[in-house]
Amino acid sequence: MTIAAADRGPRGGEQAAYLVLLAPAVVLLVAAYILPVLGILVLSVTDPVPGLGNYERLLTSDTIHRVLWNTARVCVITTTLSMLGGFVLAYAMVNVGSGARQALLFAVLVPFWLSVLVRAFSFVMLLRREGPVNQALMALGLIASPLQLSRNEFGVVVGMVHYMLPYAVLPMLANMAGQDRRLVAAARGLGAGAWTTFRRVELPLCLPGIIAAGILVFVFSLGFYITPAILGGGRLIMLAEYISFNVLQNVRWGLATMLAASLLLFVFLLLGLLSRIADLGKLFGAR
Amino acid sequence: MQDDFFQDSLRIAAERARRGELDRRDLLRGLALLGLAPATLHATDAAAQAREVVVVNWGGDAAKHFTTAWLDPFTRDTGIRTVMDGSGPSEGKMKAMVDSRRVTWDVVDTGSGTVLQIGSRYFEPIDYSIVDRTKVPQGFAWEFGIANYLFSYVLAYDRSKFRDKVPTSWADFFNFRDFPGKRTIRKDIQGTLEVALMGDGVPKEQLYPIDVRRALNKLRQHKNDIIFWPSGADSQTLLREGEVSMGSLWNTRVNALVRDTNERITWTWNQGILCPGVWSIMKGSPAGRELSSRFIASTQIPERQVELFKLFGNGPANAAAAPLVPSDLVRFSPGAPVNAAQQVQIQAEWYGENQTRVNDMFLDMLA
Repeated sequence: MTIAAADRGPRGGEQAAYLVLLAPAVVLLVAAYILPVLGILVLSVTDPVPGLGNYERLLTSDTIHRVLWNTARVCVITTTLSMLGGFVLAYAMVNVGSGARQALLFAVLVPFWLSVLVRAFSFVMLLRREGPVNQALMALGLIASPLQLSRNEFGVVVGMVHYMLPYAVLPMLANMAGQDRRLVAAARGLGAGAWTTFRRVELPLCLPGIIAAGILVFVFSLGFYITPAILGGGRLIMLAEYISFNVLQNVRWGLATMLAASLLLFVFLLLGLLSRIADLGKLFGAR
Repeated sequence: MQDDFFQDSLRIAAERARRGELDRRDLLRGLALLGLAPATLHATDAAAQAREVVVVNWGGDAAKHFTTAWLDPFTRDTGIRTVMDGSGPSEGKMKAMVDSRRVTWDVVDTGSGTVLQIGSRYFEPIDYSIVDRTKVPQGFAWEFGIANYLFSYVLAYDRSKFRDKVPTSWADFFNFRDFPGKRTIRKDIQGTLEVALMGDGVPKEQLYPIDVRRALNKLRQHKNDIIFWPSGADSQTLLREGEVSMGSLWNTRVNALVRDTNERITWTWNQGILCPGVWSIMKGSPAGRELSSRFIASTQIPERQVELFKLFGNGPANAAAAPLVPSDLVRFSPGAPVNAAQQVQIQAEWYGENQTRVNDMFLDMLA
């Protein structure tokens, strides 16, 4: 919508019609999302006894601290690696010919369409002690005995980065594809070397894409459940698994809902903080 | 997780409707449970109509074999329809169902710790005028549940990984010098604490009350060499594919491994931990306490107990079934006197009192 159209605005009757059209979506959202979330918030301060006891555990429980630390550590590592890999891929895509770009895009998108469960089990098969990766490394004489590649934190990070890479590539690619490539030529023409051009011209232009990819990947990573459970060998408990354990097995719903509510709040805070330094709507492609 | 549960339930319901095992009324009731159908279908309406027993276990092959050994014969005898639901009666799901008063399950395959911990809130008392409590080993019948089969945590190992000697005890399990390779243990306190204590030198007669700190310290000390299995299928894969050299596994999974690997994987009953699978009746069960108890009593019939054992390896809980076990299969039966004598019987009371607290400590050790 252009600015001129926005200024005119719809007339009263039209506006009512728009609201009616909007109503089903709002009703669905309230009934299927907002109300249950409120239910979770209520449960977190009422179960097993009313009060802030559950939230107190967030500060006092060593287990929760360790689970949070695991989650934060793995998510930061995953986000960093995904962004590095994603940037290289996206940068390559905008700088190669269209045929190669199609091929790269296809390679990025194919795993994107595979179920997370299938991917986690594929990595278990690839990375196990007697799996193809270890066998190849041993055949090449690079290692003498099999490496422990999965059922530990390394395996979890491999699985998560693989899952997250498309989420890092796509926002960066959208941003880079929208840049005016002539700016690079102009910078070179004005005497800047390749590195200076990259640092002073390209990187600043890419920054919105990098930030968007970073948030997207980090926020998604926080809720990972299946990948750590399968590739972590049972020894790396992250937040989502801990919540599920307390819902289904230990039946401590107050504690579980407190953690879920805290996670939600943390994500909102993160986005709120970010909206102060960047235009979120623009970052995620809204016009 | 909730999503998984909903999707799984829907998937199961749709699958059963497709196969014609589920009529429209059941489907609607299933949907009501998920909060998706008219709220008029309350449990009370369902109760008035129900002439069927919904039995819930943990799925996989168990669902198939329970049906053959127990559900189908009950229907043949009584004409009452039975429905097998393999979606897993976890404590969280049972609480959700009872608290929201939309109970659609009748008889659930649960555990002794669960019965003692939450039985009085979420289960009906077993009707012992219908079910005979003397048909299970002493200590395996409670007000809110009774043993339906027996299983054990046993030491299973890969013969190809060791040259001259084989492990015979949990002390060997933690002896990484003489028995190289990784280990696997269940990602749960049941059985695991006992394994750790016996591995640390506690005699099997002195396990209870469990010294939790000592057990967890033992596990913590070797954590880097232990993979914790979340599901029985995982434990089987780990041993079959040579990822670990030894494991504490359910005997049912060991049976399958022994056959699959032509005895490359084998096991010892020594210091095994003998546990009951447990029937309980959901509080507010649509079929009701009486009909559900009749179903439970029917599963105690020796022939049916042996049938399940032959199909799936769950040992008969009824001692009267022992003579019916074919002699070449006795070595696989956890409750057979010759095997049971080498094992220790799990003490459900300890779990009933300590489960939640110790679960937390266990997760803390893992995290």
